[in-house]
Amino acid sequence: MERLKRSAIVLSLIEHLREKGGWCGETHIQKTTYFLQELLIVPLGFKFILYKHGPYSFDLSDELMAMRADMLVQLKSQQPYGPSIVPGPTSEQLKRLFPKTLEKNKSKVCFVASQLAKYGVADLERIATAFFIANESDISTPTEMATKINKIKPHISMEEALEALETESKLKTEAQELLAV
Amino acid sequence: MIKDSHEIRDPIHVFVRLNTDERKVLDSRPFQRLRHIHQLATTYLLYPGATHRRFEHSLGVMELASRVFDVITAEENIHDQVRDIIPNKDQKTYWRRVLRMAALCHDLGHLPFSHAAETELLPEGWDHERMTGEIIKSEEMEEIWRKMTPPLRSEEIIKVALGPKDAVKLGLELSDWETILSEIITGDTFGVDRMDYLLRDSLHTGVAYGKFDHYRLIDTLRILPKSEGEHDSKEPVLGLTAGGLQSAEALLWARYFMFSQVYFHPVRRIYDIHLMDFLKKWLPNGIFPTDIEDHLAITDNEVIVELRKAAIDSKHPGHIHAKRIIEHKHFKVLYECTPDDREININTGKAIYEAARKKFGAEFVRYDRYPGKGGSQFFPVLHRGKILHSTELSDTLKETPVAATDFVFIDRTYLPDAEKWLEAEHDNIIKLKPPEE
Repeated sequence: MERLKRSAIVLSLIEHLREKGGWCGETHIQKTTYFLQELLIVPLGFKFILYKHGPYSFDLSDELMAMRADMLVQLKSQQPYGPSIVPGPTSEQLKRLFPKTLEKNKSKVCFVASQLAKYGVADLERIATAFFIANESDISTPTEMATKINKIKPHISMEEALEALETESKLKTEAQELLAV
Repeated sequence: MIKDSHEIRDPIHVFVRLNTDERKVLDSRPFQRLRHIHQLATTYLLYPGATHRRFEHSLGVMELASRVFDVITAEENIHDQVRDIIPNKDQKTYWRRVLRMAALCHDLGHLPFSHAAETELLPEGWDHERMTGEIIKSEEMEEIWRKMTPPLRSEEIIKVALGPKDAVKLGLELSDWETILSEIITGDTFGVDRMDYLLRDSLHTGVAYGKFDHYRLIDTLRILPKSEGEHDSKEPVLGLTAGGLQSAEALLWARYFMFSQVYFHPVRRIYDIHLMDFLKKWLPNGIFPTDIEDHLAITDNEVIVELRKAAIDSKHPGHIHAKRIIEHKHFKVLYECTPDDREININTGKAIYEAARKKFGAEFVRYDRYPGKGGSQFFPVLHRGKILHSTELSDTLKETPVAATDFVFIDRTYLPDAEKWLEAEHDNIIKLKPPEE
């Protein structure tokens, strides 16, 4: 996907997350973009790897920095939290440039924002990790899957892994309904 | 008695010390090749002092990496919430050696003139990081790793040298501990690769902005959870104690200034482009070889010899590009994007480039855009027993700008006409294009 087009979608996600009361720190954007790309099949083209605490894309991190350089986003600091990323002075340009792309992906962006804006970073890390491992594994029972998650990422307890898998499973079901429409 | 400790004098770190096992890596062909790779590519053409090489930089990275390792793994510096990822004392000795060797080898795969347009000058799927991995696991290097006491595993050296982003391309996944070790070298904020190149490049270019108090900074580094809040991430990352905050501010601003003043200097950027144009014409199929022996055989020296020959041989396929470099007849800046123009159209540079190509011909116009990357100013700070966000404690960090470039260059013979043309057409060209169909 063309760079500015995908910036427009990321920007749209940021706006929708904020509308739903989400805290748009970089980790929030990383995890929610991961779901947008992998669960809702929006072809953004970011390469995600399983990092220390969940899926992470260095490309997306670079993209957010480039978006700052282009004044598409800017930082807003709100103590005692870390900074959040908010639309910048040139963000309206992208909306004017890519109305069709934004319209095409609107329902998917809204889905991710409405489902995930409510979660804190630690929850998002666990749910995204569960989704990443579930997607890349042949194991089907939740207990076996939770064991695997706990083995690969020992900071996630069995109980937390099971809970994250349940959330991830619900998300998958609802996303499939949306994609079928 | 044979000496087991060797010292090398260094203008930044005074002495870099290594033992006899490590000395064998230093004496290996892949490492010795780095004596002939300029750290800053063609920058010496405008900053004459910038003739330093990847060789001494790699030694410096090894020296700093071990200093950081010793600080962050010292018992009194380990935060309770990250204690479980730190290996025991025996394992620490092994990993310290892996880290030092990864630091020493992290640049082995660099092409001649370092970063100059490597994606266009290597076959698809290759970059200097992959080349580095291939060299570390080559038979020549494996023999050195095997004979070390204790023997080292090349895969672990590769993972720590490249970091998770590039190691994954080689099918390697890192544990949390390996990731932390790789962050010591390649980390976005406190990586010692960056610390060494800022200090070294600053010294050799004569640009004082690159300096910062790296002694204080390193002494205050710690592995910390990102945050302490109930719903916040506890991911272990490199942070620091509050006493090092001003040194960290100085590091991030040094980075910004060095990028603005040196790395993104327009003349340096256009020389890189002319060099890429030359290499595409000269190299077989326009790309560098990826075979290790062929890679080891070509350095800046071979390229410089060919450039000098090509500049006086009008039949050489790279003649015109070589002349531009050797005779300092580089293209000149026609346009540099400003914040005001960007507010009208974020693609202004590209729009002007396209229009100038049509007007003056593609062979006389070049475009250079490098989006801002890296240098995150967000890290945890241990302050009176609590973990705080760096930007909570530092207004300076909140405001650290992102360095980026967006230049249009033109053959100097066209510059006067082109400037008049651009003055007349500027507003029309940068108008935002119509929305997508």
